[in-house]
Amino acid sequence: MITVFGDCESGNFCDGIVRRSFLKIGGLAMGGLGLPQLLQAEKNNKGGSSNKSIIMIYMPGGPPHQDMFEIKTDAPSEVRGEFRPISTNVPGVQICEHLPKIASIADKCVFIRSVVGAKDRHYSYQCMTGRHNDNSPAGGWPEIGSVIAELDSRSEHKAHTPAYVNLSPKMKHTPYNFGHSSFLGVSCKPFRPNGDCLSDMTLDKITLNRLGDRKNLLHKFDNLRRDIDSFGSVAGIDGLNQQAFEILSSTKLAEALDVEREDARIRELYGKGTDKVQGDAAPRLNSQFLIARRLVEAGARVVTLSYSFWDWHGSNFKRAKENLPDFDQAYYALIQDLEERGMLDDVTVIAWGEFGRTPKINKNAGRDHWPNVSCALLSGGGMQVGGAIGKTDRLGGEAVERPVHFSEIFATLYKNMGIDASQTTVTDLGGRPRYLVEGYDPIKELI
Amino acid sequence: MRIGLYCIIILSLASINLIAQELNIYAISKPNEGAKLIGPDANLQLVVTGENVSDVTRSVSYNVDPSSIVNVSKTGHVTPLSNGSVKITAKTTEGLSAQIELTVEQFEIPQPINFPNEIVPLFTKHGCNGGGCHGKSEGQNGFKLSLLGFEPTEDFEYLVKEGRGRRLFPAAPQHSLLLRKGSGDLPHGGGARFEHDSWDYKAIVRWMEQGMPYGSPDDPKLESISVYPSSRIVAPGAEQQLAVSAFYTDGSVRDVTGIVSYESNQKEMGEVNQSGLVTMLKDQTGDMAVMVRFQEQVSVFRATIPLGVPTENFPVVKNFIDEKVFNKLKTLGLPSSEICDDTTFLRRTAIDIAGRLPSLQEVEDFLSDDHPEKRAHWIDSLLSTTDYAEYFSNKWAAILRNKRKGNTYTRGTQAFHEWLMGSLHANKPYNQLITELVTARGEIAHNPASAWFRNVTDQKERLQDTAQVLLGVRLQCAECHHHPYEKWSQQDYYGFSAFFSRVGKKKTDVPGEEAVFHNVGLATAKNPKSGQNVKPKPLGGEELNINPEDDPRLDLASWMTSESNPFFAKMLVNRYWKHFFNRAIVEPEDDMRVTNPPTNPDLLDSLAKHFVKSGYDLKDLIRTICNSTTYQLSAIPNDHNAGDRQNYSRYFPKRLTAEVLLDSIDGITGSSTAFAGQLIGTRAVALPDDSYNSSSYFLTVFGRPEMDSACECERAQGASLAQTLHLLNSKNIQDKLAAAGGSADKLASQGDRANEEKIVELYKRAFSREPKDDEMKTAIDYINKKTQQAKENGGKINEANKMAYEDLVWALLNTKEFLFNH
Repeated sequence: MITVFGDCESGNFCDGIVRRSFLKIGGLAMGGLGLPQLLQAEKNNKGGSSNKSIIMIYMPGGPPHQDMFEIKTDAPSEVRGEFRPISTNVPGVQICEHLPKIASIADKCVFIRSVVGAKDRHYSYQCMTGRHNDNSPAGGWPEIGSVIAELDSRSEHKAHTPAYVNLSPKMKHTPYNFGHSSFLGVSCKPFRPNGDCLSDMTLDKITLNRLGDRKNLLHKFDNLRRDIDSFGSVAGIDGLNQQAFEILSSTKLAEALDVEREDARIRELYGKGTDKVQGDAAPRLNSQFLIARRLVEAGARVVTLSYSFWDWHGSNFKRAKENLPDFDQAYYALIQDLEERGMLDDVTVIAWGEFGRTPKINKNAGRDHWPNVSCALLSGGGMQVGGAIGKTDRLGGEAVERPVHFSEIFATLYKNMGIDASQTTVTDLGGRPRYLVEGYDPIKELI
Repeated sequence: MRIGLYCIIILSLASINLIAQELNIYAISKPNEGAKLIGPDANLQLVVTGENVSDVTRSVSYNVDPSSIVNVSKTGHVTPLSNGSVKITAKTTEGLSAQIELTVEQFEIPQPINFPNEIVPLFTKHGCNGGGCHGKSEGQNGFKLSLLGFEPTEDFEYLVKEGRGRRLFPAAPQHSLLLRKGSGDLPHGGGARFEHDSWDYKAIVRWMEQGMPYGSPDDPKLESISVYPSSRIVAPGAEQQLAVSAFYTDGSVRDVTGIVSYESNQKEMGEVNQSGLVTMLKDQTGDMAVMVRFQEQVSVFRATIPLGVPTENFPVVKNFIDEKVFNKLKTLGLPSSEICDDTTFLRRTAIDIAGRLPSLQEVEDFLSDDHPEKRAHWIDSLLSTTDYAEYFSNKWAAILRNKRKGNTYTRGTQAFHEWLMGSLHANKPYNQLITELVTARGEIAHNPASAWFRNVTDQKERLQDTAQVLLGVRLQCAECHHHPYEKWSQQDYYGFSAFFSRVGKKKTDVPGEEAVFHNVGLATAKNPKSGQNVKPKPLGGEELNINPEDDPRLDLASWMTSESNPFFAKMLVNRYWKHFFNRAIVEPEDDMRVTNPPTNPDLLDSLAKHFVKSGYDLKDLIRTICNSTTYQLSAIPNDHNAGDRQNYSRYFPKRLTAEVLLDSIDGITGSSTAFAGQLIGTRAVALPDDSYNSSSYFLTVFGRPEMDSACECERAQGASLAQTLHLLNSKNIQDKLAAAGGSADKLASQGDRANEEKIVELYKRAFSREPKDDEMKTAIDYINKKTQQAKENGGKINEANKMAYEDLVWALLNTKEFLFNH
């Protein structure tokens, strides 16, 4: 039995008190090839860089850049905040005292202290699509996971397995949510094991035996010749049916999603956090990091998740002291775990939010929205990491050294996936080819 | 196509077959003149082919007499050596030969180089000015070129003047940054684009040696280009050399084969290299095209790759569609499938015309009807139903973007949908329908068509949607630069835009609604590039002088709907063709341009002519298509046509759309889906706008369009795991299966009917056919087994019986036979 928090608005699982649900996927251990192996097999058919993947940790609300990766010790007290910097294992690079574990693996991280290009908008749009939503083409810009799903679908051997998995629960503040449709269409939407799809993946009124009976019946009735369709969609249905039955009748997807099956040592490494929803965003569940790793291991190409709530207009420091240690633990564990498994060079991990926070601490000991500059934390993906990029001014208000536009980060993510974003296009509904990233190159320092 | 000089020598050789084989040499020249090479740097591409001879340009041997005048390479590329006339003889190993005469003039006088005509195309050819490199709006690493060289004056600025002149070094051209980077001498993000000894490299050097002239204003300008050959049948795996002529304003002609850029539109069928050599891949049959681009002109070479199977016995020809399709299949040597059986026909037409499955009664009536014209009668009866009008309104509402953007839109989207439905049901001529749409004035209550001006918000969207939906022209590219695949310039774009420049809107008494009116005044639109105010200008026509009191949209409508309009009728027939055949004659259906040629031009022309002649009769068009043998062909392939995706040698199956599938599932399970604000029993295909998507996971996950764009491609046809899981295991479907009063419940409770009879009924309702013996046995065995098990285990037999029927219906609706129209 595994626990996944569910979509409250679906109504089925909401008890009105706790914003989560208990889900049982698959009851009996059946034989056969499970999703992870299946995904793996599909991936092996494809060339190039299909083993590359991205784990994107969205920090809804916008984390305080100046209290995490660049402590402004020279700033006046109404700006400085109460945290002290500590040294990392990269000489000369210091970060917040509440991130000691990350500090100990700073050689495997890059702290980008000068992310620019944000707007004062509480949304995940920019973190997910690398764009803002003004003047977007009809249908909307695709998220990076949708783009990868689209590019994957162009390859010879079509994998109908989810290339893009979104672990995020439905968040109360609507613009935080992602996994939207775009001009790439519904087939590129993420697979959401805890969203709309949740109940469809769960045997409810139908027993496993009855499902087996139905499957046999379908097999006998399903006689339409595959060769009547040279476009491949008839045969495609067969592949999808097979996978769907795997999901419904085996425990293997459950295994990928089920952290209980992980070694206790590993689970402990990731820490716990809390399953209580934070603010109007997401719970602070460290197990999501572990599930993300398991999914990537199983062959997913892009896994996105939402972690906690960071829009701290009040009690900035109190909340930081609650959140940063959990985040520190989870991020540290993910990087260490990926490295132990030899996956770190193939998996890019990024944690960021939609903007930074005001230099001046407000009367509620909070910090307000600050789109002028923010931060991002990246690891893996074969990048030349270790240390920090960029610098803000004395107050942490403007990028004074090496401003990094969020589009550069997207160009870097694509590059790590083996994709030249300045040369690759996806076609919008008007037939216009759209470059994945326009006007920005991958971050040179990381290549 | 202007024909160059070619000499033919027919050899009376002992030919093995009796087909006369002639060899031709083609070289570009002025009409009625011999081919000439003027100046030391001129060059020519020979093309050696023949009536029944494949391209042999690279396999013949060339004899040059006298040999001092020109050099001919093995690839048929001619360069001058001295002044004079020369005879070139090409000979095949089989002994066929052909001859051509050439003259070299002014060999001692280097010709002045014109920057736009000769240098800029090289940047296009080598990809320097592509949208991914220096051609993008912000340039690349500080160096910018205009996209695909559409703005040569800007390119001249960038190259010669910008960067303090550091890019060019006329004193020692080889040391110019441009050439050192371009040839890879210096590190270049784009790599080495040309060799030092290439003609292109040398041309740039010569241009710098001449002092980097832009060219004089009197220099000839490019008028058009043409490709030789323009179309040809090429065997799989064979080659074809192309030659491209450029025609200039002074009447001169130049061979530009080596400096144009080429692009194959079907790379899985054939490839093309930089020198214009097309190579077909093996095991491919059908059509491909190569686009040729030179400055702002485009042209196309079309290749038909035959299969070459004997094709004598085609099914009966019912109308002109069959003639055109079968002609093409004969050319390809591609035999068609058989005509489909009655049950397949019945189900196929009901889905394609009315967006629903045939009812049990209809199946039984049709199968027992023995009238020879019963198929035609059935098509007529479908067209007369409101089901037809609902289904096609659904199609049109999506691309006319009947989107409910807020509560105040409810009345408007409803009225617009009803207007569409009424028009289609009454079979309003298409030209009239569209005239009413684009010229709509007044309030939504009085003129529902005016809602389109609210759905499609501004002038830009209106002109772009009009061009794309009604004319098949994707004009939006030309908003910011010359259209990369078409002749359309920004002047054309803003000229077309001007038709919508006088659309006024004012508030009405109904909150959130507006009335459309003609805002009196001179209609113009400003071309931001030239700063010029362009008057309304039909595509490919001249600017119109329209009285400020007159609504320019009336002129637009009369231009569009005139019989000679080259776009209007073709676009509609192509769109409808795709609806029925799953693949348009020009694909995608709303991107009709020279460089995206139809797979069967004759068919497209005939359909358009027929449509115009019928008085733009939409029902007649559907009737004509559905009565053709071509449409009634089986989807089941024969030994040869399984791979056909272009030529309609069989029916191409398609998945039921979200709405049709939902309705069909409701039908087979005997349940219904309720939609807010709609009468109980309203079909999903009859929903007026997009607002129902958000409340129906089914419609969303199966890709009902959000009505955001003018493209039918917004309707996602891709399958996904989420869809499959929903069909196999959702509460939604299970509730329908188990519903009290639903099919399973009813059938299980009819104790006086034999199970066999009920299974026949289910099969007829799902597939419009009777079950086969083994299917019947499977179903009966299943019911018996389940009821038996209940007896043995002391369970409720009635309940087991009902559940067995649920399982049967579940299995039927999950078969591909159900999910596809085939």
